[in-house]
Amino acid sequence: MRKLIVSVSVLLLLCSMLQGVETKLSGEFWSRWSMEYAQNPATGEDEVLKNFLALERGYLGLETKISDDIKSRFTVDIFSTDSVSNGAGLKLKYAYLDFNNLLPVTDMTLTAGLQKVYFGTLYDWDYSLIGKAPADEYKLTSSADYGISAHGYLPKGWGEYALGLYNGEGYKKYGSNLKDNTQFAYLANIRMIPFAGLTLGGSVLLNSVERENLLSDDSVNPKYQDQLMLDGLAHYINGPIDICLEYLSKKVDHASSYSADDYQAWGIMIFPKLSLKNILGPDLSLLARYDIWDESDRDDNGKYLLNAITAGLQYDFSALSLQLNGTKKSYDEDNSAPAYADNQKDAVEIMAQVKWHFSNTIN
Amino acid sequence: MRKYLFILMVLVSASLLRAETITCSGSTTVLPIAQAAAEAFMDKYPHLNVSVRGGGSGVGIAALQNGTAQIANSSRPIKNKELVQARSKGVQPTAYAIAYDGIAMVVHPSNKIDNISLQQILDIYTGKINNWRQLGGSDQSIVVISRDVASGTFEVFNEKALNGAKVEASAQMLASNNAVISAVSTTPGAIGYAGLGYVNDNVRVVKVEGIRPSKATVADFSYPLARKLYMYTNGKATGNVAAFLGFIQGESGQKIVEECGFISLQ
Repeated sequence: MRKLIVSVSVLLLLCSMLQGVETKLSGEFWSRWSMEYAQNPATGEDEVLKNFLALERGYLGLETKISDDIKSRFTVDIFSTDSVSNGAGLKLKYAYLDFNNLLPVTDMTLTAGLQKVYFGTLYDWDYSLIGKAPADEYKLTSSADYGISAHGYLPKGWGEYALGLYNGEGYKKYGSNLKDNTQFAYLANIRMIPFAGLTLGGSVLLNSVERENLLSDDSVNPKYQDQLMLDGLAHYINGPIDICLEYLSKKVDHASSYSADDYQAWGIMIFPKLSLKNILGPDLSLLARYDIWDESDRDDNGKYLLNAITAGLQYDFSALSLQLNGTKKSYDEDNSAPAYADNQKDAVEIMAQVKWHFSNTIN
Repeated sequence: MRKYLFILMVLVSASLLRAETITCSGSTTVLPIAQAAAEAFMDKYPHLNVSVRGGGSGVGIAALQNGTAQIANSSRPIKNKELVQARSKGVQPTAYAIAYDGIAMVVHPSNKIDNISLQQILDIYTGKINNWRQLGGSDQSIVVISRDVASGTFEVFNEKALNGAKVEASAQMLASNNAVISAVSTTPGAIGYAGLGYVNDNVRVVKVEGIRPSKATVADFSYPLARKLYMYTNGKATGNVAAFLGFIQGESGQKIVEECGFISLQ
């Protein structure tokens, strides 16, 4: 599969260069050091659980302008992994076509293929802190998926919207890995800007996991789920101050025979950021993040209530970003399964990362 | 405590000193006006520094969005997409018209064609007409010269003359008004377009729909390819930025606009 992806990438690049169409090559790489430590429940001593360097992401992108109204994007992710013997993984991240003016709606783009999922902060998460967007972190949905979406801008700068139909399984799954799920996921997203600096938004995603009836004997599948994901967003920017608040909820309904397993999870995340650029000159920012994620409504060993607090620094210069983060995760004793009790999963993670990127139009 | 107060004073002083520079970025069409106005403004107010950069209208608006420029020079109105992006970042782009301009259709001086219709421009730029003979001229292939698609001038031309149609693949897409004028002046079969302020004696301006771009026809928008040139700020301009914009829109600034070959607002 990896050979196929590389071959397709090279072929696309050569074709676009030979055809003389406008082609943009881009790359973004994240080199990261991670160290995690936690208190050993038996000894009460702090002990290092992880300490390693890795290339967490290596995005290579190819964008071609096929015509004024059609654009394509193809992005692969090369990353460190131990799941294959040579230590380098390769994932197809985006492969889609953008059609402008296909429908008679001003400022609307129709996108088909492996693309962004327009849910919450997921599609424009800027990774100013080292960490995933909440919807990705708490596994509400994947950051990219196969589908068709219509997205665009509201008139007079009032905001943006998106409607989408996706596989619902994320970009890592296709074919036999789709687990017999023949139902699509449906998405609606809107963001409104009542005045410059304030963005209010909301997203709805309807999804399902597996088939209700198993293929072999028509019996009810205990793993079948209907999922309703909601997101509420308030983002305020004024000069050097940037604060974002996101609310997420995930309602899971099983097949009727297993309704005892139904649950609802929710969370609130706050991301404040203070830019010191106007005071100090260098583009330095102070960042923080607070997460509460409550999955304690689950009636199984997976239930937990997490509080996580992160503090960080970001320094941007030229095409580089230097980042330093520290995150403390703690699980509530009363609302988490035994596996989380006695601080067993509480941990502190420190990460430092250098990101660099390039972009060049070759035709 | 004194130490902290001192550090605070140094930081505040540093930020105040930085505010003495006005930064402009964007349209290459607006560039000569902005540069000439900046020089005259700095002569008048020597304690102020005005930094002017080109790059294209889109680059200027992006710089305003990112806070790297206080003024975005643009040869076209801001796009809705750019407005959404700016407002989401806490920036409210506010337009200040600084001049009128006509996009002049230019040909090589040896070309005898005097008038061209919008339909003919569309047909030339989309490849349907490829010889001057088809327009009553000599038997000579047409060499199509355009601005690059990132240019505000291209976007206005694309909207007003091409109705959004794609420019034929063999057209030369050049990065500046000067490059277009230079290419047309040295290529006998060429046709191109540029802001009025860049037109010189090495090229010949043709009428569009029977109307020649002039002070009167551009100012009353009877010339089909007339437009306004803008400077955008974040919200209503204040302080030194307001003083600079007031200078350009005032008598001295509008005189500079005329000297640069563009049409005054007054």
